[in-house]
Amino acid sequence: MATIDGSAIKKLIVACDAGMGSSVMLAATLKKQLAKSGVTVEHSPVAHIPADADVVVTQASLAERARGVVPDVPVVPFQLFLGDPSVTKVVKAIQNGETVEV
Amino acid sequence: MGDEQKELTSLLAERSIRLDARASDRDDAIRQAGQALLDVGAIDPGYIDAMLERENSVSTFVGEGVAIPHGTLAGKDLVTEDALSVIRFPDGVDWGGNEVTVAVGIAARGNGHIALLSQLATVLLDPERAAALRNATTADQVYGLLTTDDDDDDDQ
Repeated sequence: MATIDGSAIKKLIVACDAGMGSSVMLAATLKKQLAKSGVTVEHSPVAHIPADADVVVTQASLAERARGVVPDVPVVPFQLFLGDPSVTKVVKAIQNGETVEV
Repeated sequence: MGDEQKELTSLLAERSIRLDARASDRDDAIRQAGQALLDVGAIDPGYIDAMLERENSVSTFVGEGVAIPHGTLAGKDLVTEDALSVIRFPDGVDWGGNEVTVAVGIAARGNGHIALLSQLATVLLDPERAAALRNATTADQVYGLLTTDDDDDDDQ
C-alpha cells in the first residue's frame, strides 16, 4: 500500500517491460483523462522509469521490479488495461486533488 | 486525411491485415501476428521468439477481445522498422482464459506507432467501435477505425 496525494502529482509514468505496446496504450488513455489536470503522462520500460516520476502505474506482475527501480515512488499495480479500479482511483485522486491509499 | 492515411498504410500494410485467420492456440496466433511483420520486412525472425517470451511472462491481452503481442525490451534490436499487423480470428483463440478475436502484432523501435496505438485504445474504450473491430471483414473497415478521429492526440 502507498499513499498518493493527487494534488502533488505532476508526472505519471505507465511502465511495462518493453515500453512498446501495453504501456503505450494505457498512457494514451490516461493522457486524455488527465489532460485538464496538467499532469505529464509518459510510458516507459520498467527498467528505465525516470527518477522524477511522482507515481508509477504498471501491470501487477511488474510491480516488484518497478519498486526496485524507483523505491521512493508509489507504484500502483493494475490487472486490467481497460477500466482497472486501481487506475481509476488514481485518476480520480489526481482530478479531484485528493489523497488516497492504493 | 490523405497524408494520415498514407502514414497509416506505411505502418500497417494492407497485406498485414488478415481478417479470416485460424489459430490452434495462443502461441500459433502470436506466430501468425509475427509472421505478418516478418513478411513486410519489419523484423528479424528471432523477434517472434521474443514475442512468445514476452507473452509467457506477461499477457498482452488488453480487453474487448483484443491482444497486442509484441517483443521484450531485449527483442527491440530485432526490429528493423516500426510496423503493426492485425490478425482476426473469427472463431476466437483462448488467450490464457480470455477469448481473443483480434491480435494486433507490434514491432517498434521508435515512436512511429504511438498515434495508432492511442487510437486503438480509444476504439477499445467505445464498446460499439470495439465490436466493429472484432467484426471487421475488410481492410478499409480496419483503417477507418484506426484513423485518428479526434484532435487532442499528440505524438508525445
